[in-house]
Amino acid sequence: MRDSIRRLFRHRKAAVGGSILLFFLVLALIGPWLVMDPSDLVGRPHQPPSGAHLFGTNGQGQDVLAQTVVGARETLAVGFAVGALVTLVGALIGVTAGYLGRRVDDALSLTTNVFLVIPGLPLAIVLGAYLPSGPLRMVAVLTVAGWAWNARVFRAEALSLRNRDFVAAAAVAGESRARIVARELLPNMASLLGSSFIGNTLYAVGAQVGLEFLGLGDVGSVTWGTNLYWAGNDAALLTRSWWIFVPTGVCIALVGFSLTLLSSAIDELTNPALKAPPAVAAITPVTSAAQAEPQPPGVVLSVRELCIDYATERGPSRVVDTVSFDIAPGEVFGLAGESGSGKSTIGYGLLRLLPPAARISQGRILFDGTDVTALDEEALRAFRWAKVSMVFQSAMSALNPVLTLGEQFHDTLAAHGRTTRAASYARARELLAMVGLSPELVRAWPHQLSGGMRQRVGIALALALEPKLVVMDEPTTALDVVVQKELLQRVLELKARLGFAVLFITHDLPLLLALSDRVGVLQGGKLVEVDTAARLRTDARHPYTRLLLSSFPHLNADDATGPTSNVSLAAPERPPALAALSGGHR
Amino acid sequence: MHYVLRRLGFYLIAAWASLTLNFVIPRLAPGDPASAMFARFEGRIQPEAMAALRAVFGFTDAPWHVQYLTYLKHLMSGELGLSYAYYPSSVSEVIGTGLVWTVGLAGFAVIFSFALGSLLGVLAAWNRGGWLDSVVAPALAFLGAFPYFWLAMLALYLFGFGLGWFPLRHAYSHDVEPGWTLTFAADVARHAVLPAASIVVATLGSWMLSMRNTMVATLGTDTLRLAHAKGLPPRQVMLRYAARNALLPNVTGFGMALGFVLSGSLLTEIVFSYPGTGYLLILAVRNQDYPLMQGLFLVITLAVLAANFAVDLLCLWLDPRTRAHA
Repeated sequence: MRDSIRRLFRHRKAAVGGSILLFFLVLALIGPWLVMDPSDLVGRPHQPPSGAHLFGTNGQGQDVLAQTVVGARETLAVGFAVGALVTLVGALIGVTAGYLGRRVDDALSLTTNVFLVIPGLPLAIVLGAYLPSGPLRMVAVLTVAGWAWNARVFRAEALSLRNRDFVAAAAVAGESRARIVARELLPNMASLLGSSFIGNTLYAVGAQVGLEFLGLGDVGSVTWGTNLYWAGNDAALLTRSWWIFVPTGVCIALVGFSLTLLSSAIDELTNPALKAPPAVAAITPVTSAAQAEPQPPGVVLSVRELCIDYATERGPSRVVDTVSFDIAPGEVFGLAGESGSGKSTIGYGLLRLLPPAARISQGRILFDGTDVTALDEEALRAFRWAKVSMVFQSAMSALNPVLTLGEQFHDTLAAHGRTTRAASYARARELLAMVGLSPELVRAWPHQLSGGMRQRVGIALALALEPKLVVMDEPTTALDVVVQKELLQRVLELKARLGFAVLFITHDLPLLLALSDRVGVLQGGKLVEVDTAARLRTDARHPYTRLLLSSFPHLNADDATGPTSNVSLAAPERPPALAALSGGHR
Repeated sequence: MHYVLRRLGFYLIAAWASLTLNFVIPRLAPGDPASAMFARFEGRIQPEAMAALRAVFGFTDAPWHVQYLTYLKHLMSGELGLSYAYYPSSVSEVIGTGLVWTVGLAGFAVIFSFALGSLLGVLAAWNRGGWLDSVVAPALAFLGAFPYFWLAMLALYLFGFGLGWFPLRHAYSHDVEPGWTLTFAADVARHAVLPAASIVVATLGSWMLSMRNTMVATLGTDTLRLAHAKGLPPRQVMLRYAARNALLPNVTGFGMALGFVLSGSLLTEIVFSYPGTGYLLILAVRNQDYPLMQGLFLVITLAVLAANFAVDLLCLWLDPRTRAHA
């Protein structure tokens, strides 16, 4: 908690927003004692700014500077009061609905949603018109008109927290519901409470100013809204007296902007994806003799001393460290290693699909004689998928949910040469049949397919352009054992028929040994051992490989005879020994 | 179909809730609400007309549930009572003329702003850290912090009073005959520029920011990685794969923000004396014209409900997953 507050202060947006807000808070607190009485009639109306009246005088002949400064007090007081009240009401209703669920949730959610669609301003006006005047009226009206959004947000948060282990544990331990809400749920919503409070204050200031501008506030008091109300009433525009309405508007905007900055800073801190990634430092690549060597014949892919760096807050971090290997046409090359070992990064690196924070800092990737690392944008685009395609671990979520399968095949085919939609669809049917799916699925959307079916679509898509190499990144990890087995069998059949090479990436070493011709073992970004599967099974040299092998319980020579051996395909739970290994984690 | 019916059911409930609020709120007021409500009519209209007016709002001597039924019955027949400010026009007549202008102005400005803002958000996220992302977005966010009506005042001051480029008030000039003529259309367009522009400027930043943020999240998904891996042309990846998916949550957000944005544009109308429902609303407030105020509340709420339903249908059209459950 203290740590997150410290990070908030170091954040640039938060610092700027916080300073502006602090300035206005101090102004609201002590400002009224520093300026003249805002209701005094100090001179002729509509006087432009001068030494005597820095911001001029308004339509009544009052000092605009005094009006602006004094206006801050009630405006901010009501704004923060309403902000807190709306947060409180919304959080209580939302958490109650989300945590209690069932009928309570149904009733509260319906009420919330109804209030959400009823426009706030007309409701506030009707309410305000009937209630007795005063600052309390403003607070009541704005709370009634504005609580719903917050309740919705908090309900969603409570729903997601309710299913978390620590809440379940508290329930099992016999704690009362009220205690769980107060002790387990609310403390975990601290950052949401903070950002909601800021958002609600923003709403409250804006809505309050709007209502007062309409004349629904107490027109006798001095607030930013009533300042603008009088500016409108006293013909500030007609008399060309810009100084009457500009200062107040700028103050409102500055307060609003500071709140926006603060809430966006909180968003960025809680959701790091929104924050710009750290810049990647420029590097001057050094070409070593090994990298400069031409590609040997009989090899489709040569990776030479490949290094991939990730930019982090603390400088570059090397994720792939001087990795070299070759893949022959039609070969299955396995890449094994635990999570964080850099194996997926290598796979993405081959297609230059690295995230913005990562870059290839050294080495070359030679494919059929072309240096992939040297391709320009357009050549790279043509290279991708036509030469090397990829099956993702998450093919389930990798397909575009809003396009039919046929369209996604068509996009792929059309991007690599002119083709008609009819021709693409015919090819898509053929490919779907090839992976054992009904050709009629061209008209289907991804969500209509099961996970295993989607993974098959992913394979069909990868073969669409008949590439020489298919990178398969944990293609079966998310599938159950039976589906996994069928799918891998199908891949091997297709490979035999079409003759593509495979780079198979997984943490499941027994599976790899069963499937691959050769296997490379990665540890901490370094390729520690490369050998044929047969030799590795019995004769692994590197201690890490041996550790990996021994940590999979049922492996013996009998299991490893064929590519579809039951035991080897059943990926067992990763034992803790692996995760505890030094160097494996980054 | 199931989905559509469920949403329709929800909006019917919401409509009923707002009718009921409209009935309950005057009765929450301290003192005798009916006399407060109709005090200004005293002496202006005949006692029989007064009795009829009270009946519209259910203020009879009957028990409250009978009052409620009377009120609903009058509503069903479109009877909203008499306007004090526009006496002897009925509230429904007065609102009818205003609604056209509001729907035209706010409808156009809000949709235009959403479309443009979303497009800017897409481009900002695509060229992350570029000038659109690092200069235009914060500038628009700052503009979005001003109240709508204040931007309207500034625009009117600069381009209306100062430079004289645009008319100062109303929806059309009084010397132009309303009708389906080109002159009239051009005149209406000239009058709409400043109010529409101030609504657009006030809202553009928020649409841009929310689209940018969902876009950034979408760009990190495997869908996008696959699209890049397939070697699709960049423009296709940006629009058909990223923007198309990022649009869905934003359209939902658009529906939810409608009521809020509409409230802001009602205030903008006031600055320009634009004869829409917002301008009527302030006339009603200033004249304590309670029948008109309540009628406006109802009509504006129903309009927002209808717009929300339209947005739901749009989502249905955009998202095959929702369609599957429909």
